[in-house]
Amino acid sequence: MSTTSDSSPARRAGLAEHLLGRLGSALLLLWMVVTVTFLLIHLAPGDPLSVLSPERFSPEHRERLARSLGLDRSLGEQYLVWLGNFLRGDWGTSFSLSRPVLSVITEALPATILLAFAATVIEYAVAIPVGVAAARRRGRWADRLLRFCGLALYSTPVFWLALMAILVFAYWWPLFPASHRASVGAEDLGWGARLLDQLHHLALPALVLGVASAGGTARFVRNRMIEVLAEDYIRLARAKGLSERRVVWRHGFRNALVPLVQLLGLSLPMLLNGTLVVEVVFSWPGLGQRIYQGILARDYPLILGTTVFSGALVILGNLLADFAHAAVDPRVRRG
Amino acid sequence: MSKLLSRRGFLLVLGGASLLLSSCRKEVPATATPAASQPVRGGTLVVASIADMDSVNELLSANSRAADDVLYRVFSHLLDEQPDFTDHPPTFKPELAERWEWSPDHLTLTFHLRKDALWSDGVPITAEDVRFTWPAQTSPEIAWDTFYMKEHIRDVEVVDAHTVRFHFTRLGPSMLVEANEGLILPKHVWGQVPFAKWRESGDFFRDHLVVSGPFKLERWTPQQEIVLARNERYWNPELPYVDKVVVRIIPDVQNRVTQLLAGSIDLLEQVPMADLPRIEAAPHLELTSFWHRTYQFVAWNARNPLFATKELRRALTLAIDRQGLVDALWGKWARVADSPIVQNVWAHNDALVPWPYDPAEARRLLAEQGFKDTDGDGILDRDGRKFSFELITNQGNSARMNAVVMIQEQLKKVGIEVQPRILEFNALNEAMTERKYDAVLSAWGMPTTLDLRYAYHSDSIDDGDNHTFYKNPEVDRIIEEIERLPDITEAKALLDRAQLLIHEDQPLTFLWESQRINGLNRRVENAQSNLFSTLWHLHEWWLQPSP
Repeated sequence: MSTTSDSSPARRAGLAEHLLGRLGSALLLLWMVVTVTFLLIHLAPGDPLSVLSPERFSPEHRERLARSLGLDRSLGEQYLVWLGNFLRGDWGTSFSLSRPVLSVITEALPATILLAFAATVIEYAVAIPVGVAAARRRGRWADRLLRFCGLALYSTPVFWLALMAILVFAYWWPLFPASHRASVGAEDLGWGARLLDQLHHLALPALVLGVASAGGTARFVRNRMIEVLAEDYIRLARAKGLSERRVVWRHGFRNALVPLVQLLGLSLPMLLNGTLVVEVVFSWPGLGQRIYQGILARDYPLILGTTVFSGALVILGNLLADFAHAAVDPRVRRG
Repeated sequence: MSKLLSRRGFLLVLGGASLLLSSCRKEVPATATPAASQPVRGGTLVVASIADMDSVNELLSANSRAADDVLYRVFSHLLDEQPDFTDHPPTFKPELAERWEWSPDHLTLTFHLRKDALWSDGVPITAEDVRFTWPAQTSPEIAWDTFYMKEHIRDVEVVDAHTVRFHFTRLGPSMLVEANEGLILPKHVWGQVPFAKWRESGDFFRDHLVVSGPFKLERWTPQQEIVLARNERYWNPELPYVDKVVVRIIPDVQNRVTQLLAGSIDLLEQVPMADLPRIEAAPHLELTSFWHRTYQFVAWNARNPLFATKELRRALTLAIDRQGLVDALWGKWARVADSPIVQNVWAHNDALVPWPYDPAEARRLLAEQGFKDTDGDGILDRDGRKFSFELITNQGNSARMNAVVMIQEQLKKVGIEVQPRILEFNALNEAMTERKYDAVLSAWGMPTTLDLRYAYHSDSIDDGDNHTFYKNPEVDRIIEEIERLPDITEAKALLDRAQLLIHEDQPLTFLWESQRINGLNRRVENAQSNLFSTLWHLHEWWLQPSP
């Protein structure tokens, strides 16, 4: 990739066109996701009215509540009103929390991002060395053991892993707190102690989520490395007498990195899935818990808002993967 | 939670909507503090909650026991309903009102407010606040889910700053309860928001929170914790004993149990049966329990020919081994239910004898109703239709799911085929409200007013929760007659009769009533969980100083 060719006007126009096209289809996709979600939540049995006034089915009260929440309008009207407001930046008011949806989301978001980020760092910090090591020892017992562990992790439900981690590391061997972002009374600590306290709380959920995802990623790295290590240029590097370490990491791993960048973007949906479960088990105050509660409460505005949001995140992840790929591999945008 | 189990149930129970209620007190194992030890001030109590609260404004909070548990500590009622309903209707003690009196015609109720009560910002609590609360509670725009408790209140009149008068449209057995239902709200702050805006002003109420109870809300970190601290302006400077109460929100049940065992929380409500032995074995923990006011049942849809007569429904009850269900699922923590009024409430008809487990008699009744196994397939039939139906319940409640399977086994022995089906909670709700089901295993929380109208009056078929299509003119008449009495105490004979009729008609098969079991750290003294609230009278709880 030469910098000169990338900055030529024609190339840049091509890239811009490519980006715009991708962005356009991303928005279309998002609209479809929202519309389908809208239909699905209205098709699902139960409605917010019966959740909000649980006992005592009284038509009069349902009517009052429906009017106050705008649910007395036809489905089409509700959809258009919601979409119109949304396009104007009004995400609506949560039925169950009586608060603007947007403030519920922005309040929960930092916790989810922090958890997902920490988990991703752990995931790759574990998966890359393990995957590379397995590839170098291909077929030997260490490789088989690592592959077995990877598969086991990959097939373990995250909630089970989370519960086991709590039992082992928060109860039998109490290294970490079992839940929450901070200890009881942490607000009275100095900022340094508070930061440590928060990291202490982050450790277990991030480890669980990171290690759970590392299984699959390590296998991916291993397989990719095996392909790369069989390439001619690796044999050439070895023939030149370079150290094995240099061959593997400099020449091998850097080439295996390209699809890994893509995997990072594409794994976002899985990561969001994982945070949902981990957040509930560890009482982590993120978006996952809000989505879960929103669904149980049939809180339409909250469900739609969080759907748009996580949908946008996933699509953004895909776009980034795409662009990252384009950035490291110019053939993509030429093609 | 459940339509059936949660809020109304709770609110009624908790809220003081109640007149009646069943008690825990007499049955609670003696866990209370020995009289010798004196309450100690100070310390932080940590309590686990399954869910976060949804609003600091009671009128907006739906479905949230967590909110009730917290809000009842930071706001006040006019009167403090006592959990002494085992032998008589519950009594009331002064709270914001120091005394009250009825007019001679019993249609006007006057409350005299205490003069030393202040909001947490120093503004006196007056009759204006009481008056302001009433239109908010009945506003169609706010649509409070308990508004019907105020249906018979014609006006709330400010007589002077500390005297307020409730005018009723008719006599009824629960007038004091109706007047007392709902927390008194701060007019000088929340009155700034027009009612039409309340349903979108959750943030305003949180940010402008002035309170009247023994605690104030020091901090609320959504999905994390609710921190209550001593309200220095509470009218009783002796209380509360503890400095702080931290309500930690922990949705996962195993995590809650682990933290109770590890000592990081002091109180866990609703301990799962499977974890009881571990908690019992821990030296620093104890189990406390109280009888709840919910009763589990199988409801039979009387529009289905299989359940159309009381003989058929009785046969089904006789064919279900209810004691067996209780023994297998709950052991000593539950008992067979026999009435819509639970057994430790004063109004329960103690003369009722629960239908026994008698499959032979069930078979006889079924044969009498024309059911025979004509094709020899082991399933009874009549006019070419098999005695086969779907029994639904909700997921996530293991006792109910197990009970459904056990009932399937038991009914098979008398030639009845049951197809169990587990639905998501909202789906189950819908099946019931739409009346589209054969049989459903679920629960009701008994209204603390002892009103049976919700599920047993025929008017509630179209306008209420009578989803079994139950209709007995005498029961209708009794319910209406009770509603006209000025005092629920006079209703005992009528309630006994209604319970007997319902027992004979078996619109539902009453399955069991169970206890709520809490796990408690032994350092907590005078904990008074009861069916009003897990944190009832929290201001009187205290902590043993750490050694």
